[in-house]
Amino acid sequence: MSTESSMKDAFSTYADYLNNFNEKRERVVKVSRDITMNSKKVIFQVHRLSKDNKEEVLEKAGKDLEAVRDQHFARLMKELQGTDFWKLRRAYSPGVQEYVEAATFYKFCLSGTLCTLDEINTTLVPLSDPSLEPLQINILDYILGLADLTGELMRMAIGRISDGEIEFAQRICQFVRQIHRELMLVVPKMDDSYDMKSKMEVMLQSVIKIENACFSVHVRGLEYIPLLGDNAPTSYLLGAADVE
Amino acid sequence: MNSAFRNVHITASRLINPKPFSSSILHFLPLCSGDASPRRSNPLRHRNSVSPSSSFPFCSTSSFSSFYIPMAGGDGQVSHSLEKQFESFRVQLEESAALREQIRAVVMEIESATRLIQANLLLVHQSRPIPEVIEKAKEKIVDLKQYYGRLAEILEECPGQYYRYHGDWRSETQAVVSQLAFMHWLETGTLLVHTEAEEKLGLNSLEFGLETEDYLTGICFMSNDLPRYVVNRVTAGDYDCPRKVMNFLTDLHAAFRMLNLRNDFLRKKFDSMKYDLRRVEEVYYDVKIRGLISGGDPPGVQAVQGQS
Repeated sequence: MSTESSMKDAFSTYADYLNNFNEKRERVVKVSRDITMNSKKVIFQVHRLSKDNKEEVLEKAGKDLEAVRDQHFARLMKELQGTDFWKLRRAYSPGVQEYVEAATFYKFCLSGTLCTLDEINTTLVPLSDPSLEPLQINILDYILGLADLTGELMRMAIGRISDGEIEFAQRICQFVRQIHRELMLVVPKMDDSYDMKSKMEVMLQSVIKIENACFSVHVRGLEYIPLLGDNAPTSYLLGAADVE
Repeated sequence: MNSAFRNVHITASRLINPKPFSSSILHFLPLCSGDASPRRSNPLRHRNSVSPSSSFPFCSTSSFSSFYIPMAGGDGQVSHSLEKQFESFRVQLEESAALREQIRAVVMEIESATRLIQANLLLVHQSRPIPEVIEKAKEKIVDLKQYYGRLAEILEECPGQYYRYHGDWRSETQAVVSQLAFMHWLETGTLLVHTEAEEKLGLNSLEFGLETEDYLTGICFMSNDLPRYVVNRVTAGDYDCPRKVMNFLTDLHAAFRMLNLRNDFLRKKFDSMKYDLRRVEEVYYDVKIRGLISGGDPPGVQAVQGQS
């Protein structure tokens, strides 16, 4: 029947379209996983920071971050030309968020400032082949990544306090409060406001933990440092700061 | 000393909004803060926020040598660029939220027009003549074309972001395709292909197009309606219908099998097509063995009919 064969012709174009798209999506998911893994490595690296090894740790972290850009973002860029940038967002967003988390974490430990979206995107421009559109991280993925940053900063603050670096922890405290406030105003307007709302709750918990730790330091002053990690009643407030 | 601390803590926490926040019982804020934000007031459910410049014992000037993070130009400058960025974020997100509102308004219109078409087409189950039913439905297609045109205009404000907002019209579009395809089949007995569907709605794939997966899902929805149609046609005495539908659905199902589907929504819909086909085959069989189909049946069957 001629209708049958024209149906088959039409469907073979649909089959091609779907095959190409699914294959591309697979590739993007793979790159996203690689970006996630390698960004997590950067975060672990930065966590090794202490009074004595700041420069080496940050230098390595910076290099690793650059490697993520050169090796993985370049691959991503090829796949996300044109409308695919938004079409495939679910496939690459987790990786990009993790990268934003790593990059902002690194930048804060390096200079005490927030790496803005423009700054991050500027570092991505040199990757591009002049014939391709440069990959620019979108505002939503940046904000989602930033929301995760506060968790890492919380861990770092607690860690730095153990090392006696109180001012660093207080600087972190101030910083995360600011981020939290700014993000609060932005959350309802986001495309993924549901995800973001749960991240905000986690973020507030992180802020509170940091504040409690700073409070303990403030109240105990010089007594504080020897009592760290002690589960005795005298350090009950500190012990409770670790409660999830 | 401990009990003194505990008393302070309890007093402090009672002063704050008692709304619990998971298991943390220790949120304690310096109570000196007022709402220092110069921006719009936001109902802060849990506590007053502290402005960045509030005094905090150790942070601004410290002579500890271990304070090794260079504060680029001091706190004020850092906050300023941060605030600028978030200000710009708020503006951008306001815009996208506003765009979403506009899109939703149009999509609601599309949805009601589709319902009207559907209500009209349902009359074929009650044996209304097809041409009459289709005429009425076609009037609504004009409206649909207009609404999709409006959507395309809205999206022109943010080129390249069709897929950002696509979810907002995805399921409505699938329903539209399903009704159009059913109408097309009633008229011509053939499948409405993707390009024809795009044309009917005044869409074009270069600017604002009909997403292929939406089209395919819409076709599956159409097939879901066919068994019911066949049953009702037979009840009304049209014994030719089952064969026509069965042939069509068999071809359609075979065409769908050419697609390499992943385990997603479209795949589920395609799986349900198998059951539609089976149901139609059963009706065809029922009609055939009772010799109700005019012409083409062996005499033996017609003799059997006399007995039943």
